[in-house]
Amino acid sequence: MNTYLRAAVAAVFLTITGVAVFAHSSATGVVKERMDAMKAMGDATKTVGAMFSGEVAYDPNQVRNAAEIVQAHSGSAMTDLFPEGSNATPSEAMDTTWEEWETFSALARQLEVMAAGLGRAAGNEPSSTPMGSGTMMSDTGGMMGGSSGMMGGSGMMATTVPMMDAEHLAEMPAEAVFTMMSQTCSACHTRFRAEED
Amino acid sequence: MRRLGILFAAMLLMAMTTTGALVVWPIPAETPDIADIGDVQAGAYLARASGCISCHTDFENGGRPLAGGVPFKTPFGTLISPNITTDPEHGIGSWTTADFARAVRQGISPDGHPYYPAFTYPFYGSFTDQQIADLWAAFQTVAPVAEDAPDHDLAFPFNQRWTLKAWRAAFLTEPATDPVEGMNKAWNRGRVLVEGAAHCGACHTERNLAGARMSDRKFMGNPDLPGSDAPPITAEVLENNGWTISNLAYALKTGLTPEGDVFGGSMGEVVNYGTAFLTDADRKAIATYLLMPEAEKFAQR
Repeated sequence: MNTYLRAAVAAVFLTITGVAVFAHSSATGVVKERMDAMKAMGDATKTVGAMFSGEVAYDPNQVRNAAEIVQAHSGSAMTDLFPEGSNATPSEAMDTTWEEWETFSALARQLEVMAAGLGRAAGNEPSSTPMGSGTMMSDTGGMMGGSSGMMGGSGMMATTVPMMDAEHLAEMPAEAVFTMMSQTCSACHTRFRAEED
Repeated sequence: MRRLGILFAAMLLMAMTTTGALVVWPIPAETPDIADIGDVQAGAYLARASGCISCHTDFENGGRPLAGGVPFKTPFGTLISPNITTDPEHGIGSWTTADFARAVRQGISPDGHPYYPAFTYPFYGSFTDQQIADLWAAFQTVAPVAEDAPDHDLAFPFNQRWTLKAWRAAFLTEPATDPVEGMNKAWNRGRVLVEGAAHCGACHTERNLAGARMSDRKFMGNPDLPGSDAPPITAEVLENNGWTISNLAYALKTGLTPEGDVFGGSMGEVVNYGTAFLTDADRKAIATYLLMPEAEKFAQR
């Protein structure tokens, strides 16, 4: 029973991985370029995520490196890789990317600012508390503080919210900046990336 | 031939009687006496944990907070989340606290109609009176929107609300949120969130032909959701895929997965509009509960 289940899980996992690998390896031109860029950013954030989730020790230099990689692939460097009509298979970009280009490019710019801020905030992390206790982000349950009433702190991801600049971000704990950066990635993927069905 | 006719007539009569009985069958509804003293902050927090905001706000089309309009495609047709702002006519502004309690905990509208189980009220059944008062207080801070969300678009017979009475009788169960002695605080808190407010099973458990969650497939994923599949989240699968308590709690905050991807699709919304607002302790509690092997987890009843 257990062996069966394991085999089934493994098979499903391999199929999914296989499909993803296939999608990426069969891509060409600009679609391949942007997939590679996303992969590079993914690898960079993976390292930093492991630090902030408490799995490995904090290393400000690695955080700076990761921030540089993300910065280099965001903003116009990212949007340039999404020319109109470049969403044929195996692209995972949804049509909404071009239908809501303003939102998409605003998120790409926001990512660039966040990454720049992260690079400058990398030295702010108190080395004694790698995991922190979430004081900055979660005491009031409001992402951006304040949060009086039901929708307090919401709209974090909305593009109408005045964007924080890198100067401001540089003063914040690195963990907080990284959280906002990751949430920017997730907001964009939620809206514009097709999930395998 | 004639006998067949009688049989047919008898069956028709039976069906009609059953239907008639169902139509007039009253649902036992609570009339709680809840003091109107709720804590707005606590209510807003619970609303985030419960997903009120992500399901009742049409973020994709720039909809106003809690004004509804989010479509949910189901095998029975399309359900559309209603306006739950303070507008007295188009929202829930004219409700009493008791109306609100019945809606949230029992899935019954102020005029006695059962709600479709796309509304995840079966998970909210063990909210306390205080929690209801808190939620209600938080809902009072929402700006009214004087506009109805579009109607549901369901095929017959699913558009007949009385059919839901049979559904409730057959499938409605209490959420397993009661604390288990001997388990630590984080695990019990995780149980309250996972089995209750956060309603993980609503998407991650496959449903039967009647749209009810299948208890023997709990957390084994649901391939039939519109848009994207909900992957299995049993402890075994999570572990095999590299999830730990710390990186799962962290993913519920940031959307970042241990392989360096981020959540998109519905899970992206769950995090961005829901779990990102919770405390680190609560996210850790959710992860603690989910990562305990199923055999042990479900033996704790």
